[in-house]
Amino acid sequence: MLNNLKTLPREARDTLFLLTVIAWIIAPQVNNLPVWCSVMAAAILMWRAYLAVRGLALPSRWWLLGLLLLATVATYATHKSLMGRDPGVTYVVVLLTLKTLEMRTRRDAFVIFFLGFFTLLANFFFSQSLLTAMAMLLGLLGLLTALVNSHMPVGRPPLMQAARTAAWMALLGAPIMAVLFVLFPRIAPLWGVPGDAMAGRSGLSATMQVGTIASLALDDSVAMRIRFDGAAPPMSDMYFRGPVLSTFNGRDWVPLQSAFGPRSQLGADLQVQGKPVSYQVTLEANNRPWVLVLDATPGKPDLPDMRVTMTPDLQWIANRPVSDLIRYKAQSYTAFQHGPLRMVTGLQDYLALPANYNPRTQQLANDIRNDPRNAGADTPALVTVVLERLRTGGYTYTLEPGVFGTHTADEFWFDRKMGFCEHIASSFVLLMRSMGIPARLVTGYQGGAFNGVDDYWTVRQSDAHAWAEVWVAGQGWLRVDPTSAVSPGRTGSFVRLEAPRGVIATALNTISPRFTINLRALWDAANNGWNQWVLNYTQSRQLNLLRNIGFESPSWEDLSYLLIGLIVAASLVGAAWTLWERHRQDPWLRLLHRATRLLRRAGLELAENTPPRQMATLLQARGATLQPICDWLLRMEAWRYAPHARAPQLATLQREFRQLPWPHRIP
Amino acid sequence: MQAALPHPVLHPLRHVRARANRWFQNRITPRDSVTLTQRNVYILPTAPGFMLGLTLLVLLVASINYQLNLGYVLTFLLAGSAVVGMHICHGTLRGTTMTLIAPDAQFAGANVTIGVNLLSQRRTPRYGIGLAVLGTDHWSWTDVPAQGSAKVQIAFQPPRRGLHPVPALTAETRFPLGTFRVWTVWRPAAKVLVYPAPETHPPPLPPGEPRPGGAATVQRQSTGEFDGVRTYRRGDPLKLVVWKKAAKSDELVSRDAQQVQRFELWLDLAHTGIAGTGAGGTNLEQALSRLCAWVLQADKQGLQYGLRLGSQEIAPGSGEAHRKNCLQALAQV
Repeated sequence: MLNNLKTLPREARDTLFLLTVIAWIIAPQVNNLPVWCSVMAAAILMWRAYLAVRGLALPSRWWLLGLLLLATVATYATHKSLMGRDPGVTYVVVLLTLKTLEMRTRRDAFVIFFLGFFTLLANFFFSQSLLTAMAMLLGLLGLLTALVNSHMPVGRPPLMQAARTAAWMALLGAPIMAVLFVLFPRIAPLWGVPGDAMAGRSGLSATMQVGTIASLALDDSVAMRIRFDGAAPPMSDMYFRGPVLSTFNGRDWVPLQSAFGPRSQLGADLQVQGKPVSYQVTLEANNRPWVLVLDATPGKPDLPDMRVTMTPDLQWIANRPVSDLIRYKAQSYTAFQHGPLRMVTGLQDYLALPANYNPRTQQLANDIRNDPRNAGADTPALVTVVLERLRTGGYTYTLEPGVFGTHTADEFWFDRKMGFCEHIASSFVLLMRSMGIPARLVTGYQGGAFNGVDDYWTVRQSDAHAWAEVWVAGQGWLRVDPTSAVSPGRTGSFVRLEAPRGVIATALNTISPRFTINLRALWDAANNGWNQWVLNYTQSRQLNLLRNIGFESPSWEDLSYLLIGLIVAASLVGAAWTLWERHRQDPWLRLLHRATRLLRRAGLELAENTPPRQMATLLQARGATLQPICDWLLRMEAWRYAPHARAPQLATLQREFRQLPWPHRIP
Repeated sequence: MQAALPHPVLHPLRHVRARANRWFQNRITPRDSVTLTQRNVYILPTAPGFMLGLTLLVLLVASINYQLNLGYVLTFLLAGSAVVGMHICHGTLRGTTMTLIAPDAQFAGANVTIGVNLLSQRRTPRYGIGLAVLGTDHWSWTDVPAQGSAKVQIAFQPPRRGLHPVPALTAETRFPLGTFRVWTVWRPAAKVLVYPAPETHPPPLPPGEPRPGGAATVQRQSTGEFDGVRTYRRGDPLKLVVWKKAAKSDELVSRDAQQVQRFELWLDLAHTGIAGTGAGGTNLEQALSRLCAWVLQADKQGLQYGLRLGSQEIAPGSGEAHRKNCLQALAQV
């Protein structure tokens, strides 16, 4: 096959290379393209490759027109529109592949290159990760290589040559890119971004159906990164608060749907104690308005261009979804008290149970209440009893609890006796309510992994967690994590239930458990650096940069001035360089010219470009004192026109030039 | 020699453009060797260059609208590469030394091949340099190796016989991205001599004139045939050796040209059998064509011949130099 490649005619080879690059650019987005589009693209690329290898003629325009029409109809049928991001991406991919069937003139080739650049960009709609960036850098280099190659009309130049030129251009272009990237003013979208901009990203859910978080636990992607301005709090205190779910309809947990009027609603009534923990959060886009912070955060997280408010159940909500990586600072207190201190009407909402669900759990609650040992027990004591039951009743923590039926709590308490945090927390809250204790479910993230490389804590989607809050008279809401009763390791240390590994990962882990951990730490650090410095480079950071440079109150106009100033400076440097280059001469010639000048000043009639031998002949006639100069000139000529003129010889001549007895006057 | 300008009233635009071109070309000093510098290398974006600009704009708008920081990275990296590409493009031509290899004389109607030597002092090769006669579209492409030279041949067809300047040449490159066109215009100083086109089917050579003081008095028709053969004598031109006979016997045999040598063959403009060949005569070119064909024919046969063009006269002779003399004389009538 490789041999065949080497003997292919140049045109076929170039076409195959371009097709490979196009396939490389389209491949990462296959998951986001309609199936018909991926299949069509693959088929067309293979067809084109076949035509190229066999040296067959391209199909007629009618074919293309027909395919284009078909693709247009299919695009419309899939997306119900031809405008917007997703139809646009589909259409660009279709056009790019179809255009390869119409590569006749140089202009067609250019159209392919430019469509290729659009397709490159389309990748970033779906992922802006470091990995995507690296893959697309390779794609860009591939396209540039093909473009350079198409401008080498002579013979059959090796592709490596074009690749070298392309890489060289990208390398020299990188500083220009860096300056533009840092200084180009980040402005708001010029017109409304279609709503599909964030489709298909996972995160915590606004409602919870038992089983949802189990699937999240398998998702190893990063939810956020934290850096503490000092010592990190103990892992057992690292609860990042997400949506609080207080209403249960038998199947789903949803945010509070109160049976009472607004005046009966509970307030936050947050009181904090002790020393605050300060930290910085880099939150990945989750397309939700949730600003995740540690429990509990009384002060507003410092978000530059969002309005944030705290809900009565302590969650911080932004005025718009987090559709991009954001970074903010927050101060939290791990010791706090919140909620009403005495029984109020609003607490009735947290006792509500759907009718005809979980009868055995209700029975269990009654049994515990009526147990003589628990006679006169207060709420904390009852909670302890239930936690004790979880600890000793043969309950296990598992990622694969199976599908639950109608009475989820009953099944958990009596039949399966195993589950993931949401099963445990949900069953716990239902049992509490059955016992007449106000309780609610809190979702969020718990814990994280510390990365010693860059001092960041990484919180992954697999750290998603659900816990409970019970109301205790005189103390308000208290956090109870029933999961830690079942599996103490789930909270408080960094052991996690992990998704089953592949064969290689298992083998690697057996050989050197530290190796995979170190590798992952490095990769995380690289990714985090990427997020911090590239993806999260916003207008506020731009203006901060200006402030650091010395601008008093920077605005984006200042950015433009700085950018224009730099461009002008660069042009001046370029102009100076060309001026210098114009006057730059061959060092041999420069040396000869210096000699010529000296001899002319001494009165010898010489033309500006007299060759050294002629000068030597002229000098020889003028007396023996000039003999060293003659020899020097002849040596220069001999060395200059030797098969390999060498720098050391030039250096020798230059040294001798300074030592020669140059005459002041030649008779 | 310059083509006539288009009519100023009928084609005002073309007229102005041709005038501007002519003025521009006349500014350039003719030189047989030229080193390209900032001063004589020009650069302008091409249509694909503008297309790339538009692409960059669309990419930028998409990056702004979807707030894609990686989109900015892509756009700016592409823009940076294009800027670097512009410099590489200009550098491909800048610093090259072009030297004309003097073209050989040629017959009218045939292509003259102009050789150009491209010399590069640079440590990296220069790719994709094309040369063409200014105003035509027949490009000869070449790469110039690092610190080496490359030879390019360009063909052009001179309009008619005479001494013509080598037409203005242009060198161009679009390497590496095709987004810029970098070119130069060069007027070589060398001239190319164009002989008249030889007539395709000329009548036989004219009869020889008796040598003044020659023995023979009978006018004989020279048919180009030879009357007899004799054994080879030292000094006989090789053209007179009858090789067919030599192959059959061991002896070398020469044609006996004695017969011919009693007469002098004069090719005379006044006796070509074509009327109206005086100065400014309408059939001058036709007559010169015939003379040209005769010169070639006589030379082929190894005859002694002289050329008479009005007052100009070239004494009878033979050989390469003589033939060249005669043809040059014919070219410059």
